Amino acid sequence: MEHHASLLAKWLTQVLGLSQHAWPGFAHGMPLSVLERYDHLLNAALAALMAMFFTTLVRKGLQRIPGPLQQVFEGVVGGLKEMIDENIAHHGQRYLPFIGTIALFVFFNNLFGLIPALSPGTSNWNVTLGAALVVFGYYNFHGMREQGFVKYWAHFAGPIWWLSPLMFPLEILGLLSRILSHSLRLFGNIAGEHLVAGIFFGLMPLLLPLPMMFLGLFFGLIQTFVFTMLTTIYLSGAVSHEH
Amino acid sequence: MKKFLTTAFLFTLAAVAFAQGAPAVQKGLFEGQFTAHLALAIAAAGCGLGQGKAVAAAVEGVARNPQAAGNIRTTMIIGLALIEALVIYVLVAAFAIK
Repeated sequence: MEHHASLLAKWLTQVLGLSQHAWPGFAHGMPLSVLERYDHLLNAALAALMAMFFTTLVRKGLQRIPGPLQQVFEGVVGGLKEMIDENIAHHGQRYLPFIGTIALFVFFNNLFGLIPALSPGTSNWNVTLGAALVVFGYYNFHGMREQGFVKYWAHFAGPIWWLSPLMFPLEILGLLSRILSHSLRLFGNIAGEHLVAGIFFGLMPLLLPLPMMFLGLFFGLIQTFVFTMLTTIYLSGAVSHEH
Repeated sequence: MKKFLTTAFLFTLAAVAFAQGAPAVQKGLFEGQFTAHLALAIAAAGCGLGQGKAVAAAVEGVARNPQAAGNIRTTMIIGLALIEALVIYVLVAAFAIK
Protein backbone atom coordinates (compact mmCIF):
# COMPACT_ATOMS: atom_id res chain seq x y z
CA MET A 1 0.00 0.00 0.00
CA GLU A 2 1.15 3.52 -0.72
CA HIS A 3 2.26 5.46 2.28
CA HIS A 4 0.55 8.77 2.98
CA ALA A 5 1.72 10.52 6.10
CA SER A 6 -0.87 12.71 7.77
CA LEU A 7 -0.50 16.47 7.48
CA LEU A 8 0.06 16.66 11.21
CA ALA A 9 3.15 14.46 10.94
CA LYS A 10 4.49 16.52 8.05
CA TRP A 11 3.84 19.76 9.89
CA LEU A 12 5.46 18.48 13.09
CA THR A 13 8.46 17.35 11.04
CA GLN A 14 8.88 20.87 9.69
CA VAL A 15 8.32 22.59 13.02
CA LEU A 16 10.61 20.30 14.99
CA GLY A 17 13.18 20.20 12.17
CA LEU A 18 13.43 16.40 12.14
CA SER A 19 15.84 14.83 9.66
CA GLN A 20 14.34 12.91 6.75
CA HIS A 21 15.96 9.80 5.33
CA ALA A 22 14.99 6.74 3.30
CA TRP A 23 13.68 3.67 5.11
CA PRO A 24 14.82 0.40 3.52
CA GLY A 25 11.95 -1.54 1.96
CA PHE A 26 9.36 1.08 2.78
CA ALA A 27 7.46 3.54 0.55
CA HIS A 28 9.92 3.08 -2.36
CA GLY A 29 12.77 4.70 -0.46
CA MET A 30 10.98 8.02 -0.02
CA PRO A 31 12.76 10.28 2.49
CA LEU A 32 10.64 10.34 5.63
CA SER A 33 11.17 11.57 9.14
CA VAL A 34 10.55 9.27 12.07
CA LEU A 35 7.15 10.88 12.70
CA GLU A 36 6.07 10.41 9.10
CA ARG A 37 7.27 6.80 9.10
CA TYR A 38 5.43 5.93 12.32
CA ASP A 39 2.46 8.15 11.54
CA HIS A 40 -0.03 5.54 12.78
CA LEU A 41 1.57 5.49 16.23
CA LEU A 42 1.35 9.28 16.42
CA ASN A 43 -2.35 9.17 15.59
CA ALA A 44 -3.05 6.23 17.91
CA ALA A 45 -1.28 8.00 20.76
CA LEU A 46 -3.28 11.13 20.03
CA ALA A 47 -6.51 9.13 20.08
CA ALA A 48 -5.56 7.55 23.39
CA LEU A 49 -4.73 10.97 24.83
CA MET A 50 -8.05 12.33 23.59
CA ALA A 51 -9.97 9.44 25.17
CA MET A 52 -8.11 10.03 28.44
CA PHE A 53 -8.78 13.77 28.26
CA PHE A 54 -12.52 13.39 27.75
CA THR A 55 -12.96 10.70 30.41
CA THR A 56 -10.95 12.77 32.90
CA LEU A 57 -13.04 15.81 32.04
CA VAL A 58 -16.23 13.87 32.75
CA ARG A 59 -14.78 12.26 35.88
CA LYS A 60 -13.72 15.60 37.38
CA GLY A 61 -17.00 17.34 36.70
CA LEU A 62 -19.52 14.66 37.74
CA GLN A 63 -22.82 16.26 38.65
CA ARG A 64 -26.18 15.09 39.90
CA ILE A 65 -27.84 16.84 36.98
CA PRO A 66 -25.62 15.77 34.07
CA GLY A 67 -24.32 18.16 31.45
CA PRO A 68 -24.22 17.19 27.75
CA LEU A 69 -20.83 15.43 27.88
CA GLN A 70 -21.72 13.49 31.00
CA GLN A 71 -24.99 12.41 29.41
CA VAL A 72 -23.17 11.04 26.38
CA PHE A 73 -20.75 9.12 28.56
CA GLU A 74 -23.54 7.82 30.80
CA GLY A 75 -25.22 6.49 27.68
CA VAL A 76 -22.00 4.80 26.53
CA VAL A 77 -21.31 3.21 29.92
CA GLY A 78 -24.94 2.15 30.28
CA GLY A 79 -24.94 0.55 26.83
CA LEU A 80 -21.70 -1.30 27.52
CA LYS A 81 -23.03 -2.53 30.89
CA GLU A 82 -26.16 -3.82 29.24
CA MET A 83 -24.16 -5.56 26.52
CA ILE A 84 -21.88 -7.23 29.07
CA ASP A 85 -24.82 -8.35 31.19
CA GLU A 86 -26.48 -9.93 28.17
CA ASN A 87 -23.37 -11.91 27.23
CA ILE A 88 -21.39 -12.75 30.37
CA ALA A 89 -23.43 -14.72 32.87
CA HIS A 90 -21.97 -13.98 36.32
CA HIS A 91 -20.31 -10.80 37.60
CA GLY A 92 -19.34 -9.59 34.15
CA GLN A 93 -19.13 -6.02 35.46
CA ARG A 94 -15.50 -6.48 36.46
CA TYR A 95 -14.56 -6.55 32.76
CA LEU A 96 -16.28 -3.22 32.08
CA PRO A 97 -13.14 -1.04 32.48
CA PHE A 98 -11.17 -3.06 29.95
CA ILE A 99 -13.99 -3.29 27.42
CA GLY A 100 -14.78 0.39 27.80
CA THR A 101 -11.14 1.32 27.26
CA ILE A 102 -10.95 -0.75 24.09
CA ALA A 103 -14.21 0.77 22.84
CA LEU A 104 -13.09 4.37 23.44
CA PHE A 105 -9.64 3.79 21.92
CA VAL A 106 -11.05 2.21 18.77
CA PHE A 107 -13.81 4.81 18.49
CA PHE A 108 -11.50 7.84 18.66
CA ASN A 109 -9.07 6.18 16.27
CA ASN A 110 -11.82 5.49 13.74
CA LEU A 111 -13.13 9.02 13.86
CA PHE A 112 -9.73 10.56 13.19
CA GLY A 113 -10.36 9.87 9.51
CA LEU A 114 -12.93 12.68 9.50
CA ILE A 115 -10.61 15.33 10.93
CA PRO A 116 -8.44 17.10 8.36
CA ALA A 117 -4.66 16.73 8.91
CA LEU A 118 -5.12 13.48 10.84
CA SER A 119 -5.46 9.93 9.63
CA PRO A 120 -7.16 7.10 11.52
CA GLY A 121 -4.67 5.07 13.52
CA THR A 122 -6.77 1.97 12.86
CA SER A 123 -6.15 2.26 9.11
CA ASN A 124 -2.77 0.69 9.82
CA TRP A 125 -2.67 -3.00 10.60
CA ASN A 126 -0.08 -2.58 13.35
CA VAL A 127 -2.48 -0.65 15.57
CA THR A 128 -5.42 -3.04 15.16
CA LEU A 129 -3.12 -6.03 15.56
CA GLY A 130 -1.90 -4.53 18.82
CA ALA A 131 -5.46 -4.07 20.06
CA ALA A 132 -6.41 -7.61 19.00
CA LEU A 133 -3.32 -9.07 20.72
CA VAL A 134 -4.14 -7.23 23.95
CA VAL A 135 -7.69 -8.60 23.79
CA PHE A 136 -6.35 -12.09 23.06
CA GLY A 137 -4.01 -12.01 26.04
CA TYR A 138 -6.71 -10.59 28.28
CA TYR A 139 -9.38 -13.20 27.63
CA ASN A 140 -6.96 -16.09 27.79
CA PHE A 141 -5.59 -14.83 31.10
CA HIS A 142 -9.05 -14.39 32.57
CA GLY A 143 -10.19 -17.76 31.21
CA MET A 144 -7.28 -19.45 32.95
CA ARG A 145 -7.83 -17.44 36.13
CA GLU A 146 -11.54 -18.21 36.20
CA GLN A 147 -11.47 -21.89 35.25
CA GLY A 148 -7.98 -23.00 36.22
CA PHE A 149 -5.10 -23.67 33.82
CA VAL A 150 -5.83 -27.35 33.08
CA LYS A 151 -9.59 -27.00 32.80
CA TYR A 152 -9.31 -24.00 30.49
CA TRP A 153 -7.03 -25.75 28.00
CA ALA A 154 -8.89 -29.05 28.39
CA HIS A 155 -12.10 -27.58 27.04
CA PHE A 156 -10.39 -27.10 23.68
CA ALA A 157 -10.11 -30.88 23.45
CA GLY A 158 -13.85 -31.31 23.05
CA PRO A 159 -16.23 -33.62 24.90
CA ILE A 160 -15.17 -36.96 23.31
CA TRP A 161 -11.77 -38.11 24.51
CA TRP A 162 -10.74 -40.18 21.47
CA LEU A 163 -11.44 -37.25 19.15
CA SER A 164 -9.23 -34.90 21.15
CA PRO A 165 -6.03 -35.43 19.08
CA LEU A 166 -8.03 -34.11 16.12
CA MET A 167 -10.00 -31.45 17.97
CA PHE A 168 -7.24 -29.87 20.00
CA PRO A 169 -5.01 -28.65 17.12
CA LEU A 170 -8.06 -27.43 15.22
CA GLU A 171 -9.39 -25.50 18.19
CA ILE A 172 -5.97 -23.96 18.86
CA LEU A 173 -5.78 -22.97 15.20
CA GLY A 174 -9.24 -21.42 15.50
CA LEU A 175 -8.15 -19.56 18.62
CA LEU A 176 -5.08 -18.15 16.90
CA SER A 177 -6.93 -17.18 13.73
CA ARG A 178 -9.25 -15.08 15.88
CA ILE A 179 -6.41 -12.58 16.27
CA LEU A 180 -6.15 -12.31 12.50
CA SER A 181 -9.87 -11.94 11.81
CA HIS A 182 -10.41 -9.58 14.75
CA SER A 183 -7.65 -7.20 13.64
CA LEU A 184 -8.06 -7.46 9.86
CA ARG A 185 -11.78 -6.69 10.01
CA LEU A 186 -11.26 -3.36 11.72
CA PHE A 187 -8.19 -2.47 9.67
CA GLY A 188 -9.78 -3.34 6.32
CA ASN A 189 -12.98 -1.46 6.99
CA ILE A 190 -11.36 1.74 8.17
CA ALA A 191 -8.52 1.69 5.64
CA GLY A 192 -10.93 0.98 2.78
CA GLU A 193 -13.30 3.72 3.82
CA HIS A 194 -10.47 6.21 4.22
CA LEU A 195 -9.06 5.23 0.81
CA VAL A 196 -12.40 5.73 -0.95
CA ALA A 197 -12.91 9.09 0.77
CA GLY A 198 -9.41 10.06 -0.36
CA ILE A 199 -10.17 9.09 -3.97
CA PHE A 200 -13.39 11.12 -3.88
CA PHE A 201 -11.42 14.02 -2.46
CA GLY A 202 -8.99 13.70 -5.37
CA LEU A 203 -11.87 13.84 -7.87
CA MET A 204 -13.42 16.97 -6.42
CA PRO A 205 -12.52 18.33 -2.98
CA LEU A 206 -15.74 20.32 -2.62
CA LEU A 207 -18.87 18.52 -1.32
CA LEU A 208 -18.17 15.23 -3.13
CA PRO A 209 -16.39 13.49 -0.21
CA LEU A 210 -19.18 14.47 2.19
CA PRO A 211 -21.44 11.40 1.68
CA MET A 212 -18.42 9.14 2.03
CA MET A 213 -17.39 10.96 5.18
CA PHE A 214 -20.86 10.51 6.59
CA LEU A 215 -20.58 6.81 5.79
CA GLY A 216 -17.21 6.92 7.54
CA LEU A 217 -18.85 8.24 10.69
CA PHE A 218 -21.44 5.48 10.50
CA PHE A 219 -18.90 2.72 9.74
CA GLY A 220 -16.63 3.98 12.50
CA LEU A 221 -19.45 3.56 15.00
CA ILE A 222 -20.52 0.17 13.66
CA GLN A 223 -16.96 -1.17 13.59
CA THR A 224 -16.37 0.05 17.15
CA PHE A 225 -19.53 -1.75 18.19
CA VAL A 226 -18.51 -4.94 16.36
CA PHE A 227 -14.97 -4.90 17.80
CA THR A 228 -16.30 -4.38 21.33
CA MET A 229 -19.06 -6.95 20.89
CA LEU A 230 -16.61 -9.58 19.65
CA THR A 231 -14.29 -8.81 22.56
CA THR A 232 -17.20 -9.39 24.93
CA ILE A 233 -18.18 -12.62 23.20
CA TYR A 234 -14.63 -14.02 23.23
CA LEU A 235 -14.34 -13.06 26.89
CA SER A 236 -17.68 -14.68 27.65
CA GLY A 237 -16.60 -17.88 25.88
CA ALA A 238 -13.38 -17.96 27.89
CA VAL A 239 -14.68 -17.23 31.39
CA SER A 240 -18.08 -18.96 31.41
CA HIS A 241 -18.26 -22.27 33.25
CA GLU A 242 -20.01 -25.17 31.61
CA HIS A 243 -22.66 -26.44 33.99
CA MET B 1 -25.92 -21.45 -15.16
CA LYS B 2 -25.26 -22.13 -18.86
CA LYS B 3 -25.59 -18.44 -19.64
CA PHE B 4 -23.20 -17.62 -16.81
CA LEU B 5 -20.64 -20.14 -18.06
CA THR B 6 -20.91 -18.79 -21.58
CA THR B 7 -20.42 -15.26 -20.35
CA ALA B 8 -17.46 -16.29 -18.27
CA PHE B 9 -15.94 -18.13 -21.25
CA LEU B 10 -16.44 -15.14 -23.55
CA PHE B 11 -14.98 -12.87 -20.93
CA THR B 12 -11.87 -15.03 -20.60
CA LEU B 13 -11.55 -15.17 -24.39
CA ALA B 14 -11.87 -11.40 -24.62
CA ALA B 15 -9.31 -10.97 -21.90
CA VAL B 16 -6.85 -13.25 -23.67
CA ALA B 17 -7.44 -11.49 -26.99
CA PHE B 18 -7.00 -8.15 -25.30
CA ALA B 19 -3.77 -9.32 -23.71
CA GLN B 20 -2.47 -10.49 -27.10
CA GLY B 21 -3.57 -7.35 -28.89
CA ALA B 22 -1.88 -5.06 -26.43
CA PRO B 23 1.55 -3.71 -27.32
CA ALA B 24 4.55 -5.29 -25.64
CA VAL B 25 3.95 -4.75 -21.92
CA GLN B 26 5.95 -5.95 -18.97
CA LYS B 27 3.07 -7.74 -17.28
CA GLY B 28 0.23 -9.98 -18.50
CA LEU B 29 -3.34 -8.89 -17.95
CA PHE B 30 -3.92 -11.26 -15.05
CA GLU B 31 -0.83 -10.17 -13.21
CA GLY B 32 -0.92 -7.17 -11.01
CA GLN B 33 -3.79 -4.95 -10.02
CA PHE B 34 -6.35 -6.26 -12.49
CA THR B 35 -6.48 -9.58 -10.63
CA ALA B 36 -6.96 -7.77 -7.33
CA HIS B 37 -9.85 -5.72 -8.71
CA LEU B 38 -11.50 -8.77 -10.26
CA ALA B 39 -11.13 -10.76 -7.03
CA LEU B 40 -12.57 -7.88 -5.04
CA ALA B 41 -15.54 -7.61 -7.42
CA ILE B 42 -16.32 -11.33 -7.07
CA ALA B 43 -15.95 -11.18 -3.30
CA ALA B 44 -18.19 -8.12 -3.07
CA ALA B 45 -20.86 -9.83 -5.16
CA GLY B 46 -20.85 -12.87 -2.89
CA CYS B 47 -20.87 -10.70 0.20
CA GLY B 48 -23.82 -8.71 -1.15
CA LEU B 49 -25.83 -11.88 -1.71
CA GLY B 50 -25.00 -13.24 1.72
CA GLN B 51 -25.67 -10.03 3.60
CA GLY B 52 -28.90 -9.50 1.67
CA LYS B 53 -30.12 -12.91 2.76
CA ALA B 54 -29.13 -12.25 6.36
CA VAL B 55 -30.82 -8.83 6.50
CA ALA B 56 -33.95 -10.15 4.77
CA ALA B 57 -34.28 -12.90 7.35
CA ALA B 58 -33.67 -10.46 10.20
CA VAL B 59 -36.27 -8.00 8.93
CA GLU B 60 -38.78 -10.81 8.53
CA GLY B 61 -38.06 -11.91 12.07
CA VAL B 62 -38.56 -8.40 13.43
CA ALA B 63 -41.79 -7.99 11.46
CA ARG B 64 -43.18 -11.21 12.92
CA ASN B 65 -42.04 -10.55 16.45
CA PRO B 66 -41.23 -6.85 17.06
CA GLN B 67 -40.43 -7.53 20.73
CA ALA B 68 -37.36 -9.52 19.77
CA ALA B 69 -35.99 -6.62 17.70
CA GLY B 70 -33.07 -5.86 20.02
CA ASN B 71 -31.71 -9.40 20.13
CA ILE B 72 -32.19 -9.92 16.41
CA ARG B 73 -30.42 -6.66 15.60
CA THR B 74 -27.38 -7.54 17.72
CA THR B 75 -27.12 -11.02 16.26
CA MET B 76 -27.57 -9.65 12.75
CA ILE B 77 -24.78 -7.10 13.17
CA ILE B 78 -22.42 -9.80 14.43
CA GLY B 79 -23.36 -12.02 11.49
CA LEU B 80 -22.92 -9.18 9.02
CA ALA B 81 -19.49 -8.43 10.48
CA LEU B 82 -18.45 -12.05 10.10
CA ILE B 83 -19.67 -12.16 6.48
CA GLU B 84 -18.00 -8.87 5.71
CA ALA B 85 -14.70 -10.10 7.14
CA LEU B 86 -14.32 -12.42 4.14
CA VAL B 87 -14.43 -9.48 1.72
CA ILE B 88 -12.04 -7.60 3.97
CA TYR B 89 -9.51 -10.43 3.61
CA VAL B 90 -9.72 -10.03 -0.16
CA LEU B 91 -9.36 -6.25 0.23
CA VAL B 92 -6.23 -6.73 2.32
CA ALA B 93 -4.88 -9.13 -0.29
CA ALA B 94 -5.70 -6.53 -2.96
CA PHE B 95 -3.75 -3.93 -0.99
CA ALA B 96 -0.81 -6.32 -0.93
CA ILE B 97 -0.75 -6.68 -4.76
CA LYS B 98 1.11 -3.86 -6.37
